Amino acid sequence: MDHQHTHSASPRELQMARSMCWHCQSEMSGEYFCERCVKVQPVSKELDYFTCMGFPRRLTIDPRQLETKFYELSRAFHPDFFQNKSAEEQTISLSNSALLNTAYRTLRDPIERAEYLLDLEAGSVKQIRNSPPADLFEEILELQDTLNEYRAVEQTSEAESTLRTKLQSERNMLEQRQRNMEAALQQLFVQWDALQDRGEATSQARAERDRILKEMREHLSNRTYVKNIVSDLVSTIG
Amino acid sequence: MAYSDKVVDHFNNPRNMGSFKKDEEGVGTGMVGAPECGDVMKLQIKVQNDTIVDAKFKTFGCGSAIASSSLATEWLKGKTIDEAQKIKNTDIVQELNLPPVKIHCSVLAEDAIKAALADYQKKADGALIDTK
Repeated sequence: MDHQHTHSASPRELQMARSMCWHCQSEMSGEYFCERCVKVQPVSKELDYFTCMGFPRRLTIDPRQLETKFYELSRAFHPDFFQNKSAEEQTISLSNSALLNTAYRTLRDPIERAEYLLDLEAGSVKQIRNSPPADLFEEILELQDTLNEYRAVEQTSEAESTLRTKLQSERNMLEQRQRNMEAALQQLFVQWDALQDRGEATSQARAERDRILKEMREHLSNRTYVKNIVSDLVSTIG
Repeated sequence: MAYSDKVVDHFNNPRNMGSFKKDEEGVGTGMVGAPECGDVMKLQIKVQNDTIVDAKFKTFGCGSAIASSSLATEWLKGKTIDEAQKIKNTDIVQELNLPPVKIHCSVLAEDAIKAALADYQKKADGALIDTK
């Protein structure tokens, strides 16, 4: 069993675009610098961000470990180090760095990381679209009416302070709800990682996998809806 | 990114904003959301003799989402159910001149139309069974 949450790819090796050095044409087996001519090699565009950063597809990632890996790869690929090199090498360094930056930005944030994992594991968002949470939508639309009312009402009037109090308590409730969703997501992350660590191929494990992904999708979507209305509330009532 | 004049117009003067009672006879309600951006859209139609006599919407989202649903309600009025089915998100994109990053707003509006029509159909079928 593989409990390793750290680097799955050994240092200086990644999935590369070609199996042959673009420059000296010697055979390559995943090194990002050719062993013979020491030229930088393009990483595969198909590389997923987890593999790119040398992490398994887990949702709990140590941010320091991720950062260390990012700096290590940055030092290898950064365009600054290729200023005196050939045009080809500069191009490769640029596109490798671009991929690396996107990978790091995506994996650094737990929510974006989960969204990305869902994309990888279950295709686009649409494929596991849940039935929309009608109650939540009604609430959001109703709240928006109150917000419009508040915006239209005269400032420092009595109506204003009544509405403000109402909106403030709505805000507190929604923020609490957002925190609950994030806590639920956190639990799903742990469940996902545990399932991956067990590495079972039973139908039970498959059902568990689908359940986790579906629930994760649901919580992530609902969190976005709630987050949007909360930020609208915050910007209106301050 | 600048919004087109038509988007701005619909945003500043939204047509048919509001709602009908859900259980009112002939009313179909479509409630959809875009989990990617958090926009929420409610679109309702009122049908008499297979023709949409009125439509209303409420949208929580960006200017393009509001404009898309506002335009959709305008187009729906006076159309038959069959004609309404044929409204495509690309028609909305064209009319409002939506940029590529806002195309999902028009998709949301099309989804809302479809959901409202389906809800009306479901209610109409149910009423038919009840009277049998």
